[in-house]
Formats: sequence, C-alpha cells, structure tokens
Amino acid sequence: MSSANNLEKINAYIGRMPSLPVTVTKVLEICNNPKTSPTDLNRIISLDPVLMGRVLKLINSAYYGLGQQVTSLVRAIIMLGINTVKNLALSTAVVDNLSDRAAFQAINMDGFWRHSLCVGVTSRMVAKKRGVDQRSVEEYFAAGLLHDLGKIPMNNVLSKEYVLAMSMADRERLPLYFAEKREIDTDHSEVGTIIAQSWKLDRAIVDTVNAHHAYLEYDGPYKDILYTVVLANYFANIQEIGFSGDRYPERIDPSVYQFLGLTRDIFEEIESGVTAEIENARIFLKTN
Amino acid sequence: MIKMSIWGDRGSIPCPGPDTVEYGGNTSCLELRFGDRLVVVDAGSGIRQLGDHIMKTDIKRGPLDIDIFLTHTHWDHIMGFPMFTPIYVPGTKLRVHGPVTYEEDTLDKIIGNQLSYRYWPVRQSELAAKIEYDQMKEATLDMGNGLVLKTKYLNHPILCLGYRFEFEGKSVVTIYDHEPFRNVFPTDPADPDYDADAALEGETAAREENEKILRFMAGADLVVHDTQYTAKEYNLNKIGWGHSSFEYAINAAHKAKVKKLLMFHHDINRTDAELTELERKYRADIGGKTSLEIQMAKEGSTHEL
Ligand SMILES: [Fe+2]
Ligand SMILES: [Zn+2]
Ligand SMILES: [Zn+2]
Repeated sequence: MSSANNLEKINAYIGRMPSLPVTVTKVLEICNNPKTSPTDLNRIISLDPVLMGRVLKLINSAYYGLGQQVTSLVRAIIMLGINTVKNLALSTAVVDNLSDRAAFQAINMDGFWRHSLCVGVTSRMVAKKRGVDQRSVEEYFAAGLLHDLGKIPMNNVLSKEYVLAMSMADRERLPLYFAEKREIDTDHSEVGTIIAQSWKLDRAIVDTVNAHHAYLEYDGPYKDILYTVVLANYFANIQEIGFSGDRYPERIDPSVYQFLGLTRDIFEEIESGVTAEIENARIFLKTN
Repeated sequence: MIKMSIWGDRGSIPCPGPDTVEYGGNTSCLELRFGDRLVVVDAGSGIRQLGDHIMKTDIKRGPLDIDIFLTHTHWDHIMGFPMFTPIYVPGTKLRVHGPVTYEEDTLDKIIGNQLSYRYWPVRQSELAAKIEYDQMKEATLDMGNGLVLKTKYLNHPILCLGYRFEFEGKSVVTIYDHEPFRNVFPTDPADPDYDADAALEGETAAREENEKILRFMAGADLVVHDTQYTAKEYNLNKIGWGHSSFEYAINAAHKAKVKKLLMFHHDINRTDAELTELERKYRADIGGKTSLEIQMAKEGSTHEL
C-alpha cells in the first residue's frame, strides 16, 4: 500500500475522530445532563486526549489569527460557554463497535488511555515540583496528554500494518516509532503533528507531539515542556503505567535530567501521587 | 457622516401590541450608512421594513450592493431574511457575514435553509440576488473607502460577534447579545465541586475577557448594548442566559469612556411605559456622575454621528 494512500485514510479519520472508548459512557452521562457542573465537564474532557484536542481546536479556530491561542480548558469553557462545549463533546462521543475490532488492534485503547493520562499527570506534577508558573502548568498537562495522539489513527485505520509494526518492534527490540517508520513509512510523531496542526493546537503542543522522540535535535522555544514530557513518557514506560505499544522504549539521554535540574529520584517522589491521580480518574469514569 | 437607524430592537420574538407601540415590537435590525455605503446589522423581523425602504430609495440609484453582518444565528436575529425584498431583485449584490459555532454548520445553510419548501414557498436557489456568505471570526477588516471594521467575540450561548465600525473619525459599536463573562467554576473551598486550579484560572479568564470587551468599545461615539434585564431580574434567575443588565451596560460604557449608549435587545415583556420609566430612572441615577449619555433604543429612530 502506498504511503500517500495511508495518509489519505488517516486524514479522513482525523476529521471525525471519536473520543476514546474508555470515556464514552461518562461523556454521555455528563453531557446529557442539563445540570452538569462545569467542574465535571472540565474533568471529563481533560481525561481524553481527543476531546481535549477538539475543544482546543474549537476555541482556537474561532480565535485563530489573533495570536492569542488558548491552552487552558477552563478558559475555553468560560469563553465558549458550557453548552457549546457539551455539544461538541457529545458529537465526539461515538459508541464505536471497537469491541469486535479490538482483537485486531495493536494497542489496546484502555492501555493507551492510561499511558496518555499518566504522561499528562506526570508532566504536570513535575512542572509543579520544579516551580513552573501556575499559568503554564496546564500546558504541560495538555502536551503530555496529547503527545501520542498520532497513534490513534494509526491503530484504528491502519490496524493491520500497525500490528506488523508492533511485532517487528517486539521481535527486533526496537522502539515503536522506529518500527512504524520501517513498516508504514511514517511514525506517530508525524501523524500526530498533522492532527495537532489541523486542530490549530498551540505550538508547544505541536512541537511536543512532533519532537518527543527526536528531542535532542529540537531547538525551538518549548524545550522545557518537551523535555518534561519526554521524562514523563519514560516514567510511564518503565513503570508500566498503561501501555502505548513500546515494549523497548529508548533510554532517555542524561541531558534531559540535566536540563530539567532533576535526578532519577524524581520518579520515586512522584510515583504515589501519579498512581493516585490515575486511580481517581478511573473511579470517576466508572461511577455514576 | 455615520447615520444609524433602528428597524428592530427586541429580543426573542416579534411582539406587536398596544404595549410596544413606542419602542417597537420587531426583533433586531440596524441600518448603517457610511457615506453612500449601506451596511445592515442583523436580519431580525425589522429587516422587512428596511427592505421596503431600500426599495423606495436606494434602488433609484442603480443595482443594490449591501453587506449584512449577523451578530449570531439565533433565530430572532435571522428570521426576517426571507422577507427582505432586495433578495428577490435581480442585480442585487448581497454579502452576508456572520459567525458560526461549529465549522460543519455553514452560514449559507443556517441562513439559506430558511428558504426551503418546508418553511417558505421560495427556495434559496431561486433567489434573484447574488448572495455571498462569509464566515466571520475575530478580525480587523479594511472595507475600503475609509471604513474599518473590527469584530470581537462576546459571551452568549453560541458564538456571537460584536462589531465596531470606524469611519471618518467616528465609531459605532454593537455589543449584543452579550452577558458579562463570569467564572463558572466554584470559588468556595467548601463546595463539593471546588477545584483550586480551575477556580483561580476561571477568575483570571473572566476578568481578562471582560477587560477585552471594555477595550473593544473604548472611546466609541455610539454603543448599542444588550440590556435585556434589570440587575435585579438578572441576579434573580437570568444568569447564564446570555444577556446583560442595564446596570452592567451603563457601568461598562462609563468605564470605557463611551459617549452615548443605546440600551437595546428589549425584553418582550417590557412595556412602553416601563421602558420610559427605566430610562428616566437610570438617567437620574447617573446624573452628574458621568459624561455618558444614555438612551433607550427606539424602533424608527435615527442617530447621526
Ligand atoms: Fe508515549
Ligand atoms: Zn437575541
Ligand atoms: Zn441570542
């Protein structure tokens, strides 16, 4: 199959990308309730990379061109109004028949969700520990939550090729993005960048999505966010919190710790906090 | 010179009757003249009579060329469109501008679908006028011949634009339908929904967005502002409905050093007598405290700058 054809399929999927199956039930419950609290709305959206991305897209495509990109979900809800955001969330909450397709997929979406959330939560926690300005902390979270966005269409649209890529990675002990490139001729950073750009996400997120496996070559202005997400991604992988396909992730370069002014001790410091937050999210999604 | 005439000033739905004779019962429609250029803001039910007026005056000077700016697509702001006679006149050039909330709902569908057989005996495709649709966002536009337009998103349940027209050193601004931005996240730590980060961010966001609206109307000669409610009505049970109170609008216009405020988008239940009394009361309240001039919008009135 030609890669042009693959990209076409991916592009078609991006236009109607549904929220993750893990969050669907709760999204429907919250958004169909006429008395939904903004707090619940904020919470459910920030638990789903697709929903988060699409709300930011809505606000930024409206306000695009004024150089005032919005990265905070709280601000987006205030500016767009609760009902507009609820409506958008409802339109993305498609109950997909993934259950019968799941068997043929490389990455289990539940594991992917947990990985994404873990990287988001870890990035935010590390940022707070390092005393990052309160106003930017949410940007760290968003960049972490969305960093692997590109895997969603690859996993769902090019399922067969993606299974092959993953087994190659397993067999040859390669990082997944490496195998993706060989098998599909593109990787999740490239695909994710296409999504992030078409959603007009702010540059910190675009750069993180794009460079989280090529961070040593990055020389843009968002190195702090990028390196934090790289660290968080590594943490999620070695602690095996969730699973996003990488059984043999690359070790991170010592310059990451150096740049952030941290040592490996940070992992121990944050571990229980991160696990607790993910567990809370899981309970929130399961209860009604 | 800028000349503005009001053809409709109500919210929600036309409300003819003995109580709405003086201030009018049509939904929003403003006619703006910038030299010989004709601009219409909103296509509420008032646009029908504006259309008839245009057919008596402008048509004599040649083919019609009109820009309509819709503040948003709520029905009271677009319902008059099928009864706007110029759309049936060959040679008319009409540009309809306005915001849409979801990109897949395009403006031509939202407005034009009112002209489909299920609602109306004429279909959009049968119209004689040449109509172009233009989806608007926040922007600054040079419209030529010295007319500059700035747009700003307001706070309403769907995306809604305020318009600021600047011409020959004068400016007219519309701020409706609009409710002041507010922090929808609880700020009381005792509230079960309290989230410290959201509370803080929400406070900042609401304050900053309100400041942007003030800057948008700053120094304007004339501001047409949503004043559907009194502060008492607003606080009682209208928070979140997307409309402002007289008190808020007057304060905002004063702070922004506006010269004249037209109080607009009247509630359908507000009688002529009540509007006159409210105008008197608010004028008395602010008397001697501000240079701001305030006036109740009246259908059929004309304002020259
Ligand atoms: Fe990852
Ligand atoms: Zn209205
Ligand atoms: Zn409205």
